[in-house]
Amino acid sequence: MRPGARRYRRVLLVLSVALVGSALLAVSVGAVAISPGSVVRLVVWKLGLGPRPNVSRAAEVIVFQLRLPRVALAMVVGLALAVAGTLFQGLFRNPLADPAIIGVSSGAALGAIAVIVLGGGTVLGGLGVSAAAFVGGLLTAFFVYRLARVGPAVNVATLLLAGIAVAAVISAAMSLFMSFAGEEIRSIYFWLLGGLSSRGWTAIEIVAPLALLGVVGTVALVRDLNLMSLGEERAAQLGVDTARFKRRAVALGALLAGAAVSVSGVIGFVGLMTPHVMRLIVGSDHRRLLPAVLLAGPTFLVLADLVSRVVLAPQELPLGAVTALIGGPFFLVLLRRERRRASAVA
Amino acid sequence: MRPSRSSLGALLALALLLAACSDDGSTSSTGTPSASPSATAVSFPVTVVDDDGVEVTIPAEPQRIVTFAPSMTEIVYALGLGDRLVGVSGPYDDYPPEAKDVEEVGGAGEFGVDPNIETVVSLEPDLFLAISGGDQWKAQLRDLGISVVTLNATDFVDLLGDIETVGRITGATAAANTVVTEMRSRADAVTAQATERVTCFFEVGYPPLFTVGPNTFVYDLLERAGCDPVTADAASDYPEWSVDALVADGPQVYIATPDSARSPQAIAKRPGFEGIRAVADGNVILVDGDLVTRPGPRVVDGLEQLSAALHAPGD
Repeated sequence: MRPGARRYRRVLLVLSVALVGSALLAVSVGAVAISPGSVVRLVVWKLGLGPRPNVSRAAEVIVFQLRLPRVALAMVVGLALAVAGTLFQGLFRNPLADPAIIGVSSGAALGAIAVIVLGGGTVLGGLGVSAAAFVGGLLTAFFVYRLARVGPAVNVATLLLAGIAVAAVISAAMSLFMSFAGEEIRSIYFWLLGGLSSRGWTAIEIVAPLALLGVVGTVALVRDLNLMSLGEERAAQLGVDTARFKRRAVALGALLAGAAVSVSGVIGFVGLMTPHVMRLIVGSDHRRLLPAVLLAGPTFLVLADLVSRVVLAPQELPLGAVTALIGGPFFLVLLRRERRRASAVA
Repeated sequence: MRPSRSSLGALLALALLLAACSDDGSTSSTGTPSASPSATAVSFPVTVVDDDGVEVTIPAEPQRIVTFAPSMTEIVYALGLGDRLVGVSGPYDDYPPEAKDVEEVGGAGEFGVDPNIETVVSLEPDLFLAISGGDQWKAQLRDLGISVVTLNATDFVDLLGDIETVGRITGATAAANTVVTEMRSRADAVTAQATERVTCFFEVGYPPLFTVGPNTFVYDLLERAGCDPVTADAASDYPEWSVDALVADGPQVYIATPDSARSPQAIAKRPGFEGIRAVADGNVILVDGDLVTRPGPRVVDGLEQLSAALHAPGD
């Protein structure tokens, strides 16, 4: 057994407990308090493994139709964003890369806002907006990728710059749309600030398969991700088809981030923070990093969503603001510690 | 990434209007329980198409009602159904005073203007009365098996119809008829008096200055009370209005509510306002906002107040 394997297993165990614990907490807390014990017994009953606990019909509705779908959605979105972040940080070999970096988030938001302003906000019960967001995200990623491609080669630095430039143009377009928005401004804010409210199980049925596809694809890229961290040239010498790798990584990242944004709006920091923090704890070997990220991403978003619901209850804070408020300072502390360690080594 | 000022302002004005409240005591009588429900038999189920165009079937006479607008709360009490009210929207549901003791279900969502779905579910209501807006949470409530009925009074006549509808879906048709008949006769009396018309301007908020467009409930009341707003060609319901335009148009009467202005003197001191004809002539009146902006039983009180102020001696 490799040294550190025990510690790694312990980290995974702690992360798993944190995930289950935060989910249970999130389902218990709300306008109507339902004890974690009741929640567990309700779930056991629903699975046909026990008798119906002595709780009100209202509590049952609240758990199964309101809170569980919300917590599940937080998990799926957190997972998708965190994995997308891991992919982009690996691809760009830059710890500051996140799903927004190649314009996926802003492209998705623009797609959603365009449909809302043009009056399609209620098409298919709001799913039209989600579809537009998803397509907008993918198209933007594709466009940025094409911009950065010269012949068969894609320069990673160019990809980064193209992403930033395109995102700036898109944000201008969004401002334009918003000035014509009128009463739809509220739905638009939802997309820009992010949130998981009132989505029900339908959203999960749509996003979960896409997220799963993205995760499976990423797992298949783990070896290449590790080799790419040695530098593009070394990776090519070691047998990585770098052009194909980049194509796949961008496609998978766009798929994951687009799926997340399409149901939750733009939620920052999850994709940036989660892989970054996990890398500090378990190291940068993607075979060890990815499982940790898969557990930490959902936990982070479930907790952030809980905070957004509880702080000013019954009012909800925009989720994107909460993740940034929690994530920002945390990130700064880590960054300073990192720099101090780096200067100590030098 | 910034919304235009005017759209934000319009939202604000809308929120102000929907939530318009003031606590200067108005002594009115219409809102108090006036008849007992279920005097005539209504056979349930009752099916209505509400103002959102949704067909709603009420299976049995509702016993647990949640209202999500102060106006709806007042209607429910006026029909003598106060004891069936299990939830109201929030602190603005302040009339009749008993409404303040009913559990509040509002204040949720990212903007603090949605109902808390969990609280609503826990109250197990069999009728949820709302005004327009909030399509998303309404769909969610319907998915959870709650009958949501949206009624949005666009003018006085529409309001009378809405009160009758509430009566029909709650089994209180007789009470509704009594309330509507009284409101209609008092409104007719006001209209009969309003032979001499004046031009007016109604202030929703300041600063910036917001007013009402011709498709709003308040606008209709103003016309019934005997004045013609100078904002007839407004493109939206709650448009921002320039003081310049007011100086040019010269309304004869300037109407505001205590929600936006402390006193007529305070209005006269605002920059540029002395150039407005009504202000220069001293024809600035304050009316109780709740009585003119809440489409409920008490609007006839507001109508009478407006009419009295417009036709006061000395004008």
